Formats: sequence, structure tokens, C-alpha cells
Amino acid sequence: MASEASSSKGEFDIYQTYRKILDDEEMSPPLAAILSLSQLMVESNAGTMFELVKELHDGAEELKRHTTNPISLNAGCELFIAFVTLFPHESDSFAELKTELVKQGQKYAKEAISYRNKIAELMLDFIKDDSVILTHSYSRVVMRALLHAHKTKRISVYVTEARPRGLGVKTHEVLTAVGIPCTVVLDSAVAYVMDKVDFVLVGSEAVVESGGLINAVGSNQMAIIAKAAHKPFYALAESYKFHRLFPLSQYDLPTHNPSILSFPSLPPRPFVTPPTTSGVSPPIAKSGIDESLNVTPTSSSERSMSAEMTAKNPDVDYTRPDLISLVFSDVGILTPEAISQYLVAMFAG
Amino acid sequence: MSADLHGSQRAVETLVSKLRRRQVVGSREAALETVLVLRQVVSKARFSNIDQLISLIRSVGKRLVEAQPKEHSVGNTVRKLLHHIREEYNTAMTGNASSSKTVYSISNFVLQGQPRKQNVAPKSEATLTLKENDPDDPDSFARVLKPVLMEAIQDVLDELETVYDNISKNAKDHIHSDEIILTIGHSKTVETFLKVAAHHRSFTVIVAETGPSYNGHEMARALSSAGISSFLVPDSSIYAIMSRVNKVIIGAHAILANGGMFAITGSLLAANAARVHSTPVVVCAGQFKLTPLWNLYHDFGALDFADPSSVLGFEEGNLVDKVDVLNPYYDYVGPELVDVFITNDGDHPPSSVYRLIKETYDDDDHEL
Repeated sequence: MASEASSSKGEFDIYQTYRKILDDEEMSPPLAAILSLSQLMVESNAGTMFELVKELHDGAEELKRHTTNPISLNAGCELFIAFVTLFPHESDSFAELKTELVKQGQKYAKEAISYRNKIAELMLDFIKDDSVILTHSYSRVVMRALLHAHKTKRISVYVTEARPRGLGVKTHEVLTAVGIPCTVVLDSAVAYVMDKVDFVLVGSEAVVESGGLINAVGSNQMAIIAKAAHKPFYALAESYKFHRLFPLSQYDLPTHNPSILSFPSLPPRPFVTPPTTSGVSPPIAKSGIDESLNVTPTSSSERSMSAEMTAKNPDVDYTRPDLISLVFSDVGILTPEAISQYLVAMFAG
Repeated sequence: MSADLHGSQRAVETLVSKLRRRQVVGSREAALETVLVLRQVVSKARFSNIDQLISLIRSVGKRLVEAQPKEHSVGNTVRKLLHHIREEYNTAMTGNASSSKTVYSISNFVLQGQPRKQNVAPKSEATLTLKENDPDDPDSFARVLKPVLMEAIQDVLDELETVYDNISKNAKDHIHSDEIILTIGHSKTVETFLKVAAHHRSFTVIVAETGPSYNGHEMARALSSAGISSFLVPDSSIYAIMSRVNKVIIGAHAILANGGMFAITGSLLAANAARVHSTPVVVCAGQFKLTPLWNLYHDFGALDFADPSSVLGFEEGNLVDKVDVLNPYYDYVGPELVDVFITNDGDHPPSSVYRLIKETYDDDDHEL
């Protein structure tokens, strides 16, 4: 069976299929994962349910190995595998069952693109005329909601730069092109701008079992500041992003590895008497660091982080459920407590 | 036949004008009147399939809600009725050969996460033969289904009529002897609750005046005539006496889907004071007050406004044009300020309200 699995993988590269599907701008990682797994089923030679599920698990593992941020991808894979195993099927032959499953997978992916419209519709009532909205980075579902609201209401949007990828600037371009007044704010200026804002709206990579949110780094910060300023914090998430993860802290996420936020190992400092003049930093300490840093010298006073420095920073962070006011999803408007009950009911069959 | 139809239409019009002129006072009264009108509508209605009936009830419901949008129990009763009707219809239909199988799809799999609907004991047995859109006998469908629907409507009516008794059932377990209870306004639900508890326990009630309507005065009078020792205090002393209070028991006008509620002005003050002193806030409300609407608390206009002359009378002539006077009748109290809702269907924390709503109403009816 092992040779069967490797030969099928040799002809069918699931990761390539996944990347090709992701070329479509509208596709999100979980849906692309579901489609790639459906494709895997088409190519598979499995004869029993057990073999099929094992191949699906192997395919999912393969996909996860290739990405640094596998959380949302994982959500899609788990949903599909749970559907295959838990949902009651009535089919006469295994081949018929397989074709049915593949069809369902593709049908769902097609339907799921329309979920963003459903969510935009639900969000519409919460956006009042002359609202000032703060959002983070670039999220397709948030874009859909804002553009939908723009048709009937006046809104203005603050968007954070979302370093290091700087996707906030992309949001700014899209919104300005349709005529929504939009300003990019520094990630460090979120607290400064919070009092001017009516509510905060973010997308999501995944919504987890505790009712918390996993999204681009900076969302947790925004949620904490919103809570302190008594502003509502809304998350938009399609139902295929619900994930059975229960992080106990930021460092409990699967994306966290020991190199993130690690301190560089420095050569041991030789003992030196401290300088008598204050204000002059000891020269010895600097020499140990200079070689490992590639500080890009700029003519202006602005400096930027090197690629190595950026690599030590996380991509996503975890926002606790008590900081989130409501989660808008295609299955309805849910409070964070409702999400955990929902997930358990869904995956427990 | 047409006279009957006009009869039910007249009933609807009468209720619409009563609601608009605010002649129906109190959410329970509004709910009762709505059920009676809908009962008339359903009994006189002519329909050959279920969709006609549902759209008829929805249009009537829409008119009633538009007459008085701030009276949420009207819409809630209509939604509850629609839910019951769909339940009865589905039970009756599953007896036939055309039973609906669970459609096999991922989106349905995801929807399995939805809380299970309340299993109302169906009135119809599966032996009913329902035939929709029968060209020979268009009334057959209605004829067979109507008695079943009438019983379902009677159920809703009974529930509304016994609301006070059901809520007060466990009153003695919620209040201990020698406790000091704070309440606000004149809620019949809370009044019955306290009176029933007084049969088994002796306690003291502090009633806040609740300006500018001063409903607190009637409440204090009603309670003391029942032998409960009551104190009447002005609203300004709520915070000051909160350290001596063991529980805050208040009524609600409507319970929103996020677990928050609309309650008489002054409730937000009492709830905040209670939160600071870690005093439990208990809300007594019937299930007909559960409203499947989410965004109302953003809308300042969702609060009903009463006559400003009770705040600043017209005698103060020179002030009247210089000052804008608002007299909101209700406060929005957020879910984090309430500890438990005591309803006729049991006690629930605010975080479970969304589940109650999913079980009691159908998703399509949220917007009538």
C-alpha cells in the first residue's frame, strides 16, 4: 500500500495542484485544499474507505509541509476529511461513492465563494451612515463587506499598514479606486486612532474552538486596544475557516517555532571596566553584533528591518474570545461562545 | 366566505391602529392580541399549499410590526407561530411517501453544527394525508391542516397566559430569607415573582422610583399590599445603597440575540452599580420577549422615546426652546451586565440566548 501511495503521489503532485488553484484571486487556502483533496480522490486507486481516508490524510500532510502558515489550510482539510468520514452516505458501490464525494467537494467550493456575499449582507445592518471603520491588512471578505456597504452608505476606513507584508497599502488602493475615503495608519498608531473609530472589522485566517481568532499579526493588538476603548471588534469568517484548534497562548499556535522572537546568540563578552563617562555605550558589546546584522544604510534617517530580522517575527497571532464582540459567518451571526459549541456539534457528528 | 375574510382583515386593521396609537400597553398584552388576531386570520384563511399560508402570515406580521416597530413582542409572536406552523407541516408531511431526506452535501454537513430545533410534541400524527395544490379540491389541504394549526396556536396562547406562573415557579429557590432585593420600575413579571417568593420567605425589597414615569411608586404599593416590606428610594441613591443589596431583580422589555436586553430607563444604572459591587443581576422575562434581532443596540432610535414634558414641563416656558429634551423610555443593558435570565422555559445565562433563539424561531423569519 505504501508503494501505491508513493506512485500515485509521483503522478499527482498535490502541492502543484494546490498552487495552481490558488492562482485564482478569489480562492482562499481552505477551499483550494478541499479542491486539491477532491482531485486527489479522483486520481486515487483506493479500494476501501480506510485506504481512501489514509490517502487524504497523507495528502493533507504533504500540503501542510510546504507552507509556513498551515492553519487555514488545515481547517479546510479537516472539514473535508470529517465530511468524508462522518456524514452518512448511501451508495451501492465504492466507485460511485468516490465520484459522489468528489462532486460534493467541487460543488461546495463553488458555493463557498458566494459566502462572502452572504456575510457582507449580514454586516450591512451594523454599518451606519458616516461610520469610521478600522481594518487590518488585506482581507477579501472585509473588502466585499465594505464595497457592499459603500453602495448604500457613507463610510470611511482606516487601514493599518500590516508590516512586514504591507498588505494594508493594497487595501488602500482598492478602496480609493471605488471612492471610499481611506487612510493608511502605522501599526504603532492604532491606539492613537482608536478614539476616532466607530468599530473595528477584521477578516480571519481561522476561527478556533475557544471562539478566538487567528489572523495576521497585529489583530490581537487591535482587539486589546478596542476593548480598552470600548469599541466593538467584529470578525468576518466563512464557515470553512472554523478549526478545531484550542491554543492556550500565542506560543501554542502551530505556526510558532523556536526561532520566532529568539535572541541572537552572542560571543561571550570579555570583562571590561565600564567607561567613566556616562552616555557612551560600551564599544565591546557592539562589535559582537555588527557582523550578523546587515543594516541597510539609507541616506535618510529612516531605517528598515533586514530580512533576517523580519524572519524572527510571527506571521499570525491569536486573539482571545473575550476581546471579540461578534463573529459574522455565512451560518449566521455568532457570539464567540457559540462558535465552540458549533464546532463541537459539527465535528462530533 | 368573503365576509369572513373581511372580518379577519378588519381585526388586523383594528390591531394595527391600536398599536400605532399605543393603546396596547405592555409586551404581554401586545403578544396576546397578536395571537388572537392571527388565530382569526388562520381560521378564515384559504390556501392550497403551505407557502401561501406562510406568506399570508408574514404579510400580516409585517403590517403589525410596522405599526409599532418598538414593540418587539408582536414580531416575536408572529415568528413563533410561523415556526410552529412549519413544524406541524413537516411532521404531517413526513407521513407521506415524499419524505425529505437530508440532502447530502458539505454545506449541510456544516449546518449540522446548528443547535437542534426544539422538539415540540407534534399535534398531527403521521397518518394525515396532505395533498398540496389539488386542482379538484383546492380546500382539501387547508381543511386537513387547519385543526392541527389551531391547536398549535392554542399552545402559544396558553404559554402566554401562564407566563407569570411559570416564571414564578422556582421563585423561592432564587431568594433566601432576610435578603435585600433591589428592583426598578413596575414589571408585572417581577411583581408576581416576588409575591410568590414571599409565601415561603421573608425578605425586604427596595424599589427605585424610576423617574420620570415614577412607576416605582405603584410597584412599592403593590408589594406592600401583599405584605412584603418595601422601601421606596429615589434613583440617585441606587449606587449608594448597592453595597447593602444582595440581588437586583428587574424585568425586561425585550431580550436581544446577543444576550443584551432593553429594560426601563434606570436599569443600566442599577446593572452597572451591581457589577461594581459584584451583586447578581437577575432578569425575569417571558420567552415571548426573545427577539432574533442583532443590531438594535447600535441604533439610538431603537430606544422608544416618551413624552419630554414629564422631564421638562411646558411651564418652564423660557427654557423649552433653548434646551433639547430627550426622554428615552428604555435602556440597552449589555450581556456582560446580566447574570441570568429567568424565563418560563427555564433559567439561562446571556451567552445561551443565541441558542434559545435558534431553537424557537426559524432563520428565514428574522426579517419579516
